[in-house]
Amino acid sequence: MSVLNKKEGLKLNASLIWKVFGIAFFVYLFFGFMLLPCLNTLTSIFTVKDPATGKVDPLVVIRFFLNGSMPEFVLNSLKLALCLVVTVNIVGISIVLLTEYFDIKGAKILRLGYMTTLIYSGVALVTGYLFLYDSDGILTTWLSGIFPGINKNWFSGFNAVLFTMTFACTSNHALFFRNAIRAIDYNTVEAARNMGASPFKVLLKVVFPTLIPTLFSLTVMTFITGLCAMSAPTLLGYDSINPEIVRLAGSSVADESFPQARAALLSIILAMFTILLLTVLSSYERKGHYLSVSKTKAKLQKQKINNPVANVLAHIYAYMLFIIYMTPVVMIVVFAFQNYPALRSKSLDLNQFTLINFFGSQDFEFMTNRGKYRTREGAISGLFANADTVGGIRLSFVLSAIAAALACVIVVVAVNYIFKHKKKKRAIALEYALLFPWLLPTILICYSYRTYFNSTDVWYMFGQNMYMRENVRFLIVMAYAVVKLPFALRMIKAAFYAIDEELEDAARNLGASPLVTFLRVKLPIVLPSVLAVFALNFNALFTEYDMSATFQSSYGKSYAMVIQNMCHDEGRDGYNVNASGRRCASTVFIMLVSGLILYLVYGVGARDLGERLERREKRRRFWRKITGRAAKDAPTAKKA
Amino acid sequence: MADQLSSMIELKNIIVKFGDFEALHNINVDVKQGEFFTFLGPSGCGKTTTLRTITGFIEPASGTVNVNGQDITHVPIEKRNIGIVFQSYALFPTMTVYDNIAFGLKIQKLKKDEIDRKVRDIAKKVDLSDEQLQKAVSQLSGGQQQRVAIARALVTGPAIICMDEPLSNLDAKLRVQLRNELKKMQRDFGITTIYVTHDQEEALTLSDRIAVFNKGYIEQIGTPNEVYNHSKTEFVCNFIGDINRIEDELADVLHLDKNQNHFMRLERIRVNREAQEGEVQIPGVIENREYYGLYIKYYIRMAGQIIKVIERNDGINIYEPGEQVSVGIHPRNLMSYPKQ
Repeated sequence: MSVLNKKEGLKLNASLIWKVFGIAFFVYLFFGFMLLPCLNTLTSIFTVKDPATGKVDPLVVIRFFLNGSMPEFVLNSLKLALCLVVTVNIVGISIVLLTEYFDIKGAKILRLGYMTTLIYSGVALVTGYLFLYDSDGILTTWLSGIFPGINKNWFSGFNAVLFTMTFACTSNHALFFRNAIRAIDYNTVEAARNMGASPFKVLLKVVFPTLIPTLFSLTVMTFITGLCAMSAPTLLGYDSINPEIVRLAGSSVADESFPQARAALLSIILAMFTILLLTVLSSYERKGHYLSVSKTKAKLQKQKINNPVANVLAHIYAYMLFIIYMTPVVMIVVFAFQNYPALRSKSLDLNQFTLINFFGSQDFEFMTNRGKYRTREGAISGLFANADTVGGIRLSFVLSAIAAALACVIVVVAVNYIFKHKKKKRAIALEYALLFPWLLPTILICYSYRTYFNSTDVWYMFGQNMYMRENVRFLIVMAYAVVKLPFALRMIKAAFYAIDEELEDAARNLGASPLVTFLRVKLPIVLPSVLAVFALNFNALFTEYDMSATFQSSYGKSYAMVIQNMCHDEGRDGYNVNASGRRCASTVFIMLVSGLILYLVYGVGARDLGERLERREKRRRFWRKITGRAAKDAPTAKKA
Repeated sequence: MADQLSSMIELKNIIVKFGDFEALHNINVDVKQGEFFTFLGPSGCGKTTTLRTITGFIEPASGTVNVNGQDITHVPIEKRNIGIVFQSYALFPTMTVYDNIAFGLKIQKLKKDEIDRKVRDIAKKVDLSDEQLQKAVSQLSGGQQQRVAIARALVTGPAIICMDEPLSNLDAKLRVQLRNELKKMQRDFGITTIYVTHDQEEALTLSDRIAVFNKGYIEQIGTPNEVYNHSKTEFVCNFIGDINRIEDELADVLHLDKNQNHFMRLERIRVNREAQEGEVQIPGVIENREYYGLYIKYYIRMAGQIIKVIERNDGINIYEPGEQVSVGIHPRNLMSYPKQ
């Protein structure tokens, strides 16, 4: 009996230690890496000294904001967000209608083209567009050959940002809108047609009203994306909030008035907009969606456009969009295999096919200012032969993998706890804590880290300045992980819902401890979703630009930052040689990585054990067939 | 039979509370060794709560659970030696059939050879082939999945097996087929079984004894014949099988006690037959007819009410709606309960 008690006591202590450790960890995470840094940003606005009086004036920054040119950045961001909502909705809705609702020839190919921005997005997409449209881009070079008077810098500023972001944002928009349109009960369309409604009237009065909740959510999310835009405005030169925050964060008091406090104010303004919009969205979502009451839902069938003129116009529009989507992708892929002279002259030459943009290097001869020729050894280097690029890839790979894994581990442990203590206040508090970063713009979190941890006074960092030298990588990992927590929580929580509660009871009944039940029963069930979340987060972080740009540290030079540098002047004084080649190769590499990840997540990861066993059996049969044949052939061969 | 056997499970004065709500009120059950004992009742009556109290998922507010004379009320779930077949079967979807069955044995840290022997033995007994053992549970049919669930529950050698509505997810035809297989398996293994269902037909065909639950109380414990033909309470009489309630006008014709509610089973009423001793013949008109093949159900208007009657389908005596008939009712076949 006493031995038993001792054992029970030990078990109790172990579970108590885990519980205390868990609570301490989540408190540390929430207060240390979410609340305190952001509160510090907020208070920094009101603790600035007025340069005229030398005294702390809580309103000096706000007065400066109202009297200066700063509202322009806010207005520019709002203008971009508003226009983006219109363009993304137009393009997003039309590409879904063209591929899912109307009967357009070649819809499958069109869909593939429209979805390319799923594997070709962010900074890769922006630099890809620049490769085509900037002052020495392929299209601009080609157009200036035909029209010599053309403004070569036509692709910059607001229009360029709007154009780029429209096509960058529509694939996600279309993905959700497509799911909504596929959920429509076709019987409702047939019923309306049966009652004499024209196809256009059916679309307007029957189909669209059911899609409004989805469209509303997508509109709000697009607005937030436009408001928080970073890579496109930075690379294409548009004065919006985020690039200004990054600029101010890197500026010193000697250059301008209280730059850090102004950056903080801008990031708080952005946060206020985000919180307001998300509140509107969630209150709208609470009102509920239109649900089909049909018990036997019919699959949507494509509608023929009966008017021949409208049909031709729809086809022209569909293929125009396809060309806009595909041209940069095709050009980049093709030019990724061209040599340096072909890339410089933007002239395609199939005889110059090479892999130098990926592997290997060549010497580069250039003329100096004094008119002498010099050779820089190995200056024309490929993606995997250039130290800078390889360094960026390696750093992004490691940081993204660690952050994605960290976010998954945190969320899996938390969700397991939330499900075990459903409806209890501490579980609800934990869930809200993990959703907290969703309310804050990414730049606010990163900017707050940058300023708050750039000091040795943060007691829970044990006297370390986390912004200095390699320490910044820890901050980047934490920022990556924290930003990805809400997405991971939503996805992994959904996966946990799929676990039948009786499975846990069954495992316990068969003698398994809670830990064994978690590791051997629950975790294998949610593992495909967890791995999917890991892969999707990794994919997003691997080419992430906004956060590493905010940190602006040479020790945290991510792959996206390296790609951005490839857009700088190429080849001048023998520097940045073959940047275009590496840029193209980078985009191809990113597309391959993203494509592979999406295939693993939605292709391989979606298979259950039954499907996997069936496939294994098929492979076995195939090999048996081959080896059986070989065994049969062997004696014949011997005889021969 | 039940009285001769020794007691296996004993529930004494069990009370279960969920917050302020009392789900079980003073439950007393005595299940004998090797018995097939069913908890029957409508949704929310407390039958699953009682089962979960026995298996250890719910701890009672008061009362004791004894197995073989030992108090197991506070014994952890995994140490109770009770196998469970869940309503959803709760088969682990990420494991093969073999791994599902072997799970409990692996937890017990048995040797690999012993696990393999035990898994294959039990698989043979429940008619699962070696090929099926290597499959994923999602690749099996509903019936095969049920066998896996039973094998998994039995492989660790439990003293008792509890089944929580294991046939409810299946279609009607398969349910009947598996019901028979289940009974055969229980007899072959000779294991004490507690079975939870809301389906009275299932309870009547499978059980040695039935406990009928209502609102957290047990209304009656008895053999299928006892609960069907000699229902102790009005609830049991109404819940088990189809029944006619005798209204006042008909009660007057039959000279029945007006302080009681009277009920009569459908098959105890005879149509157009020669009157037996003590039987009252009442004229009626066929209102409606439902043809079931093996039998025919008539709705007959008589003495101011509609009476349901089941007649064997002999292919000759089939009555049309509107036809005049003579209905024979014997008062001894009535079940009567005091008015509440």
